[in-house]
Parts: sequence; C-alpha cells; structure tokens
Amino acid sequence: MPTDSESESDDGLDEEEIDEHDSDFDTLLQAVAHDQGLGSGDDSDDGYIEGDSVDEDEEDEESTNIDSETESGYLTKHSFKDDMDAWKNERKELANIDPVYDSDSSTEETTNTIGNVPIEWYADYPHIGYDIDGKKVLKPMTKDQLDTFLSNADDPDAFRTVRDELNQTDVRLTDKEVDLIKRIQSGQIPDAEYDPYEPTVEWFTSQKMITPLTGAPEPKSRFIPSKWEHKMVMKLVRAFRKNKSTQKPRPEAPKYYDIWAENEDQEQSDVRSRLPAPKMKLPDHSESYNPPGEYLLTAEEEKEWLETDPDERKRNFLPKAYNSLRLVPGYDRFVQERFQRLLDLYVAPRKEIKKNDIDIESLIPKLPDPRDLQPYPTQQSQLYAGHTGRVRSISVDPSGLWLLSGSDDKTVRLWEIVTGRCAQIWKFDDVVQKVAWNPDKDLCLFGVAAGDNAYIAIPDGLCDQTRLTVTEEFVKAGFGNSKDAEQTASVSWNKPTSAQQEAGIELVLQLGGTVKDLSWHKKGNYFSTMHSQTGNTAVIIHQISKHQSQIPFRKLKGLVQRTMFHPTKPWFIVVTQRYVRIYNLMQQELVKSLDPSAKWISSIDVHPQGDNVIVGTYDKKLAWFDLDLSTKPYKTIRYHTQAIRQVHFSRKYPLFASCSDDGTIQVFHGMVYQDLLHNPLVVPLKILRGHETVGPLGILDCTFHPTQPWLFSSGADQTIRLWT
Amino acid sequence: MAKIKKKGASGGAVKYITRTRAIRKLQVTLADFRRICILKGIYPVEPKSRKKAGKGSSAAHTTFYYTKDIKFLAHEPLIEKFRENKIFLRKIQKAIGRQEWNEAKRIEKNRPIYTLDHLVRERYPTFNDALRDIDDAISMLLLFSMMPSTKQISNQVTEECRRLSGEFLHYVMRTNSLRKVFLSIKGIYYQAEIHGQSITWITPYQFAQTAPTDVDFRVMRTFLEFYRTLMGFVNFRLFSEINLAYPPKIDETMDSNGAGLSALRIEQPKADDLIAKEEGDRSEGSAKKRKPKGDQQKQIQRMSDIQAKIGDIVGEDQDPSSAEATAEDTKDDVSANTNSRLVFSNQTIYLSREVPRESLIFVINGLGGKVGWDKSVAAGSPYDENDERITVQISDRPVQGHQFLNRVYVQPQWVYDSVNAGRLLNAENYAIGAKLPPHLSPFVEYKDGDYVPEAAHNFLAAEGFEGEVTNLKPEDREDYSDDDQSDNSGNDGESEIEGESEVDEEDVDEDLYQNELEAESAGMSYSEYQKSAGSKNTATKRKASKVPVKDGDEDSELKQMAVSMMSKKQRRLYDNMKRANTQKAEEAQTLRQRKANLKSMKSKPPPAHKMKGKKK
Repeated sequence: MPTDSESESDDGLDEEEIDEHDSDFDTLLQAVAHDQGLGSGDDSDDGYIEGDSVDEDEEDEESTNIDSETESGYLTKHSFKDDMDAWKNERKELANIDPVYDSDSSTEETTNTIGNVPIEWYADYPHIGYDIDGKKVLKPMTKDQLDTFLSNADDPDAFRTVRDELNQTDVRLTDKEVDLIKRIQSGQIPDAEYDPYEPTVEWFTSQKMITPLTGAPEPKSRFIPSKWEHKMVMKLVRAFRKNKSTQKPRPEAPKYYDIWAENEDQEQSDVRSRLPAPKMKLPDHSESYNPPGEYLLTAEEEKEWLETDPDERKRNFLPKAYNSLRLVPGYDRFVQERFQRLLDLYVAPRKEIKKNDIDIESLIPKLPDPRDLQPYPTQQSQLYAGHTGRVRSISVDPSGLWLLSGSDDKTVRLWEIVTGRCAQIWKFDDVVQKVAWNPDKDLCLFGVAAGDNAYIAIPDGLCDQTRLTVTEEFVKAGFGNSKDAEQTASVSWNKPTSAQQEAGIELVLQLGGTVKDLSWHKKGNYFSTMHSQTGNTAVIIHQISKHQSQIPFRKLKGLVQRTMFHPTKPWFIVVTQRYVRIYNLMQQELVKSLDPSAKWISSIDVHPQGDNVIVGTYDKKLAWFDLDLSTKPYKTIRYHTQAIRQVHFSRKYPLFASCSDDGTIQVFHGMVYQDLLHNPLVVPLKILRGHETVGPLGILDCTFHPTQPWLFSSGADQTIRLWT
Repeated sequence: MAKIKKKGASGGAVKYITRTRAIRKLQVTLADFRRICILKGIYPVEPKSRKKAGKGSSAAHTTFYYTKDIKFLAHEPLIEKFRENKIFLRKIQKAIGRQEWNEAKRIEKNRPIYTLDHLVRERYPTFNDALRDIDDAISMLLLFSMMPSTKQISNQVTEECRRLSGEFLHYVMRTNSLRKVFLSIKGIYYQAEIHGQSITWITPYQFAQTAPTDVDFRVMRTFLEFYRTLMGFVNFRLFSEINLAYPPKIDETMDSNGAGLSALRIEQPKADDLIAKEEGDRSEGSAKKRKPKGDQQKQIQRMSDIQAKIGDIVGEDQDPSSAEATAEDTKDDVSANTNSRLVFSNQTIYLSREVPRESLIFVINGLGGKVGWDKSVAAGSPYDENDERITVQISDRPVQGHQFLNRVYVQPQWVYDSVNAGRLLNAENYAIGAKLPPHLSPFVEYKDGDYVPEAAHNFLAAEGFEGEVTNLKPEDREDYSDDDQSDNSGNDGESEIEGESEVDEEDVDEDLYQNELEAESAGMSYSEYQKSAGSKNTATKRKASKVPVKDGDEDSELKQMAVSMMSKKQRRLYDNMKRANTQKAEEAQTLRQRKANLKSMKSKPPPAHKMKGKKK
C-alpha cells in the first residue's frame, strides 16, 4: 500500500489527467474511486482502522452510488463535466477498500522501519527509528507511570489497549480483534464466520446409476488367490510342520576343506610378476635372553642408543642378560613390532634389488703384473739440492748427461746427472718459467724463459770445440739478415749484454709479456714461445737460423696454456683451457680439436710415435687420446688426489708419468701397438713418493731421461730427484 | 614412417598408477582400498623412474602400484561385498536411530557375509606357496590368542586364533618337525621344517598382553581375518596329510583347566568320512562338522574312554599298541627321516610350576619326550611329581627343596639348547643355581671374518661338526690377555714378513741369478717365476731395492692402482661393497675388543669403581 505522500501526489496528477483526456472513462472512474478510497485515509490518522470497521450498509450505498454515476455517464456524455463537478461537491468519505488477498498484517503501514532491532537500542536517542524515507521518527511523549495509571483508570477502553513497542504508541483493539482473541482463548475456531457444520455438497452423485460406465467383466485374477502368496504360506506351513525355523540358516564358522586338492600338480601361472615379501629378519645372539658378555652394550653405548632417534637405531632393542628364564619380563613393544611388520607387508614399496654375492676382489680389474713390464723407475736414486726456490722446470740434454733446472730463485742450474754436481749457474732478473734443451744432438744450446725475455744460451765446456763452433755459427747466423727480414713488431732479437755473453747467453728475445712456455721443434731450428699476453700475439714461432719470428694465428680462441710441436708431423699443438687444438702448419688449417671434458688443462705430451696424446688436468684427471679414433678420450683415469702438473712420455720406453700436487708421481706402462686393431695398453706401474708438498704445491715438473728408464722430477720443495 | 609415439601412452607412465588414482578408479574409500590390498596381497612398488611413473613429477612420497594389479583388483567380488556392508551399516544405523528394534533385528540377521576362500586359492596356487608365507600368520595368531578381549578384538576372534594356532603347533609336535628354538628377550622363536620349508615364528612370553594405543587395529584385524582363513586351510591340509580328522575337538574340561595344547582331542576320521573326502564332497565335510551337539558329546565321551584305556595323551603318541596304530604308521612315515633328531626320545620330563609350561611341552613332546607337570598349574598331567619314571625335572628356582636321587634337575635353557644342539647336552652346566652358559641364536650362520663367540665354538665342537669348526677362525685361540697384540691384529702378517726379510740373503744370492736365467730361457714371465720361486724371491727383490719396501704396502699400492683403472660405475659398486665390509669388520672388531676386555677383567679383577661402568 502506498504511503501518504505518494497518494497525495497521485491525487494531483490524476486530476490533471481527468481535465485533459476524458476518453478512457472506465479506467478513469476506477482510478478516481481508488483515489477517493485512499483519500479518505488521509484525513484522519486512524483512517485505516476506522476504514476497517466501516459498516456493511455504507459500502452498499457507495457501490450503488458509483453504479448510478456510470449509468448516467454513459447516457449523457455531454454533461460529464457538470456531473463531475456535482459529484465532486457531493462526494462523501468512503470506507477503505478491502484489498482482499494481501490484507494480512504484514502489509500494514509501519512508520518505523528499523526491523528486528530491539527498541531498547534507541532508548538514549530522541528518535525511535526511521520511516521509509529514512527520516527520523521522533519519540512520542511518554507518559509517566502515574499518568498511565490514571488514564488506565479513566479510560473505559484501557483493557483493549495494547502497547506497540516498535512505534511507541498505544493501539486500541477493535471489537473484532477482541472477539478474535476471546475465541482463541476459549479454544473456539478463531473465525467467527466459519461454519464447521456446513451442509454437504455432493460434487459427485451418491446415487447408483443403472448402467455401469464400462462394460468390461471383472478379471479372473480378482477371483484367484495369489500363487506367490500361496507359496510363501506353504513354506511357512511346512516349516511349522517340521518344527523348523523359517529363517535362512547362516554359517556359524568358516568351513575348511582341501583348497589345494584340485589342481595341485597343475602349475598355475600368475601373469603378474610377484615379488614375495622378504621374510622376517632372524634374531642374532644379541637378542638372546642370556647372550655372551661381549654382546652387551657398555654404559656409554647404551646411553648413545637411548639418545638416538628410534627410527635411526641399528637395533630396536637393548641387549640384556638375565640370569634365569623366569626373570625375563614381557616385551612391551611386541604388538608394535608385529604391526610394523604388517605395515612393511602392505605399505612398503617393493623393489627387486639384485644382491650381488660376488667377491669384492673380483671387481678389481686384472692387470698384468708390473714386474713383467720392467724396467721402470721404482725408487729415488739421486737428489739434486741447491735451488732456493720452487723448481719450476727441468730439462735433460739430448745426450742424457746433463740436467737443466729453472727455479723461482731466478737461477738456472746445470747438473751432472750421475753425480748430482751442480756444474753451472745462470742468474736472471726474473723467475725462470721454463728451460728447454735444443733437441738437436749436433747443437749444444738451450732456451730459457724468464720474465719478458726468452734467452738462448750455450753452456760452458759441455761439448767439444767443433760442436761449439757449429752452434755458435748457427745462433749468430741470423744477425746478418735480421735487418732486412720482416720483423714482428712485438719481438726484438737482441744481442746479449757483455755480462750475459760472459755467462754463455747468445741471444735475447724480447717479447711483449711474461714468457710462460718455450718449446723446441724436433729439428732445433724453430721454437715457440707462449706469453701471458692475450690475443693472437700470445703464441709466436721463432726461427733461430734467420732470427725471425712470426705470429701463426690471426685469432686465438681461449686462454692458451701450452704450445708444442708434434714430434713426427708438421703440426703445432695449442692447449687452451678446455680444448687441445692441433693445427697443420703447412696447410695452415685446424686438424683436430680434442675435448678431454675437463675444467682446466694443465699439461700435454705426445707419444713419440705421434698418434697418441696424454693430457693432464688441474681437475685430477688424465686423459689418453688416440688421434686416429676420436676427439674424445680413449681412457680417462683419475687417481691423483690433487691437480696434475705435468705429464710426460718416455722417448725410448713404453712409459709415461704424471706428477701432481699431492706429492706423488705415478708411472704407467703405455704401450702403443703398430697394429691398428690393438688398443693401447695402459697399466699403472708404480706410485713414486718422496717429494714434500709445500702449501698447495707438490711436484711441478717431471721428465724422462732420453735413453734410460729414468725419471726426473722437480718440486716445490726446492729439490730435483732422479728415479731409477 | 613409423607411427609417432604419444607421450605418456606407454612405458612407465602407464605401467604404474598412483594410490589416489587407483582409489578413484576403483571407486572405493581409502579404508576399503587398504583392506582390499591387504586381503589380496597387493603391494606398492618402487618404479624404475619416479619421474616417468609420476608423469613428470618426481615427488618422493607418492605411492605407486602396478596398473595391472589395480585392474586385477577391479574384478574382485569383495569390493561389491564391501559396498553391501556399507549399505547394511547405513540401514541398521537408520533403524536404530528410529528405534525400530524389530527392523534393526531383521536387518542384522541379513548382515552380508563374505568368505576369503578364493583369495587363499588365488594368492597361493599350491600348498607350498602357502607354507612359504605362513610365518607372519602364525606369529599373528599366537599373539592374538594372548590378547585380552577388547572393543577392537572380540572374544570369538581370540578363541579362534587360539584354536588355529594350537592346531598348527599340534601338527608340528606330532610330526616332530621342530628344528630350532631361541629364547630371545622379545619372545620365543621357533623354527619348524614342513615340506622342506623352514617356517619361523615368534610367540611372546606368557604374560597378559595389552592393546597399545599407537597401533591401528583395523589393519591388524584385516590381516588377522585373512590369516585365520589361510591357517584354517593350511591346518586342514596338514591334518589330512597325516590322516587326522579336522577340526580336532577340544576337551572343554581340560581347556578350562588351562591344559592348552593337550586339550586337543585328535582322532582318525571314520571310514565313511574318508570316502567322502576322497570324493571331494565339501558339503559332506561341513555336515560332519556341524554334528548335533549330543553326538559331539558322545564322541568326546568315547574318546575319553580310549584315553583312559591308553593311560595318557602324551604317552599315546609313542605307544605303538594304541588304538591309533594306523595313525602311528603314517606318522612314522612322515617323521622317519627326522627320528635321529628326537632329542628327548627316552626322557620323561617333569616341569616345575615356575617354568613356561606351554613352550616346554611343545618342544619336549615335539622331539619325542614325555612330559608331566604340576597339577596346580593345569589339569591332565600324566605324571605325578613323585612318579618313578621321571628322569629329568626342569626347575627354575635357585634351590630345590626335596631332590629325587634318580632324576636330574636342570634349568629350562637345557631343553632349548639341547634342541639346537641336536642331542642332550651335559646337564651339569645347567644345574639348578649354576651360572648358565650363554644362550646363542641358532639362526646365525657364520661367514669368513664374522665374529664367532666362544660358546659357539664349544657348541659346534661338541656337536661333532669338526669340518665347520676348522673352517672358522677360532677367536678364543688368540691370547687376549695382551691387549696390544689384539689391537695390532691387522698388522700380524706384516710383522711376519719383516721377520722373514732378516734371513741371511748372501747365501741365497748366487743361486738366485742362476735360477732367474733358467726361468727366462724357459719363457717364464718374471711374475710367474717369482711365484714359483716363493719366499726366497721376495727377499732378493727387497735386496735389489736399496730402500726396503714392505710387501703389504706394495700390494695395497698395486690394488690402489688397479682400482684407479676401474670405470666409474664399477668403482662405485666397489666402494659401496668395501664400505659394507669395513662396517661388518668393525662390528666384529668391537665384539672382539669387548671380549678381550671381559677376559682381562676376569683374569685380574680391577678395582671396584672400574667394574661399575662395565657391569650391566
């Protein structure tokens, strides 16, 4: 039902409509009627309740009134306006129209819209809630108790007045409502108008008709007793006769029989592969109630057992000894252990593990007995002491009588191999990185890499006069044509100073950076140097006879570690940090790139026959390459516990050795067969120990004697040793 | 072109299935899945590659099953039974909730039942398969026969467990198939040999077991359910093999008096029953079982008459003149090869009341002895304490009040040790009040390098197995009084060789060169020559090297070098094996050390405060 304000505005609008359009008369009439009904409510506050109690006859009067109006309207359309005015003048208050179906209390006007909120919450406020427009509903005047009492005493309607807490108003009940309450109280039907004893209305006739609606005869089944019922009854009857229970007998206990009787012999193949659960572990002596004394734990072990987590214990019980059987108590974890076993049976994943019941020794490969592969160096037989710094490099002269060594004490020493006498000392300005004898037996000179220079020197009194002159001529021949030959900018071939000349130094090559490596071509005319400078100038090849240097590479990939000439082919080997690259100098192309899959290569040597290469790495591995086979190692061996510093092939014997920072040298038998079908045979022979490790460094260089199965090694402990 | 393979359509991805997916596939609850897995013997497996099986995920905790196993489960009629049971429970709860008691009773009567017979047949196609797997079954039955009846375990279940385990023990006893016994601190282990299968089980000591709370009894019940069925069938088969009626009847009066095993009334099946059995008529068998109660009473009556005539049940087994001559014959057939092991065959043994009666009766009877026991413990003892025939009395008291002169008094361990030794041991060591020799596990098999306790030596030597004893390195021959020596035992060989090297080398030298030359001309390799030349050569070799190198060092160096030549895979295997061996050796070494300590303490008793730490 619309609120008051709405109905007012509606009123105005409707009047205008009436003025303007008089066409839809019917609707208009209804609207007017409706408005008036509502309008009557406007006039007084209690209109709703009064409207409800409008007398019947009043309503009748009203309806007749409207009827007459409509009739007149239809008859005389022209006088409508006059009639309307008349009607307006005459109109009287009409009762509320009963809105029939939705007239229940829920549609009653409520001024306060706060809903279910307890009214006490508004006790401290001037208002008691909000109306539908959100405006505050002010608290009405409240009477004090005396006033209430007096008004109750005065008012004859006090008994029918109830308090509407929500709106804080007193509501006077109508007669009808009072009557309703009274009826409910007395247990009567609340609605006074309801007649429980209405006369019956026969919706369908109770009289029998003469002819049936359908002519079908009664089916036979209506006359025969049910077969199934009969069966059930008979079952009961029989049971009664036999004095037996009618219930199905239920098996009390499982019946056992010979379940494997039928096809015992016939092997039933289970398609699914089954892994039978392992059997329980059988107990050992320690579980005995009276074990031998040694199986009992000591106090400390017992404490340790108690402190370890139960899941990590090796045994799940504490061994104990009892003097007699009657003293043995019950085992308190028996049920738990059974349960654990059951869990193992059904939740533990099963996996077949092949138990290799093999002798551990049989795993070790059978190698040929080292004694059959003699000779090889087995023990130390000479010690060359004198250096005061790490001996970085050693070299044996081609005749096998003299040994050169270069050290961190900035000296190069010449040793007589057999006696261990120091024959000569050269002093340099920088740490000596490398010494190398010229491999040509006719010449008698060696190269030294120290600081930024490479020196070529002739030792005193080692060779006879003819060789000496040949050597000197060979070295100095280049001075003549050095001017006109095209020079590499970074290299200058200098004459030694007088002091140097005195010591036997014949040539000084000044290079761009610290020279790290120097290696000779087998013919003795060429040598290569490698210095720390990056870029393509790191590797330079020098020709002594012409005093010429050339840079073989336009571009160099990686950090170069070593360079060397191939012993049999015109190949040049460059070792970078990860790869070994072999170049053909004649054709000027890359022949092979070997990958030992190491982090950092330290050293390399080529087998005298030229087809096999060994590479030592700082990550403790030694890789053997067969150049005919692959760029991957034929064998990778890892036996040193520290970085490998140097590897070396013996020129005469099928031996090679590696030395490492762990202070050991390992000697191998490395036989290469001419027959291509045979793989190289690599057999470890001997571990030589003797050098001391100084800090992280152990043995820095090792080299074989050119003619004997002897091995020289030099280390960070400032000594050089001969192993025979 | 070959067909393109789809990912995850073959191999590990389809071979395995996770538990969650299996449950979803079978449409059962997790609890039902567990039950069905237990009953059907389906177990999780470890896939070869977790990543492949897990379709890319390599989570460590996922459980995998074979997909085939799960497919196989899907056909199991039991799953349907489980569903029926679920419905049944729902119905009965509903009825109870509505207080419709009659309806509830009616539903209760129609409780769905299922049997596990087909599972036994399916899991164990042959009888031997079943025998292989009954270790856990017997252990479980024996445990549950001692459990108190609680909410989780009903009295009927306990009773059935007791009956089934009793029957099995009776079979073992009757066929003398007991082989080994071990008194552990956890319980008593027994090992029997049936049909060539070693069956080991453990029974707790006779104390009231308590149901612990940290154990899932649903799992145990499910296992027990299957084990009961299995053992029923196994027992039936075992009994019928020695021509006995199954199930044996239980003498109720004896049983109620705590007679235990001896309460079983064993009888031959009647002739018609045998025929019926031959026909393989199951219903006949079951009809026999469900004999009217009166008939059963009569049977027992008749049996006890026979018993009275024979004298006693225990004697019955050995008495050839008994009414059960045929049974004896079959029994003899079964145990013909085991007769030599009948340790107690001529003994009549009386048990005092403080000894574990059940276990001792089982062991002694099972190995041919006759047993009597105190009346106050249980009824039915065939011998009185004063009986003249008693040869041995087993007692576990520190002192015995009255001692009969014509019998030996021993502690119970004597019986068990005699069983393990296979003969009667000297009773003096086991006399009452004496310090018992250690009780060793008969299940330990010694390998090279294992620690063999002193007692085992005595045992094995006394057993007459000289061959084995010589194979074993005797630990007690070493003199442990010297601690230093035992510490350096690893270096023994080395010191010997060092001693050898002191042999005068000068004399040998000249011959040696000659020999070498000869050998070389014969085409012998140097190592072979050395081997043939023997110890002389080692001396010369050492002479050749100025710095003497120890032989052991050289060998280990050679080994080290050889190991360095192994491939990575092989080296890992080698390292693992080596570690395991070292561990084992260390354990043995610890035992040796402890033994040495004990010995040294015994020889010169240290001050009291030192003792305290050692003695436990």
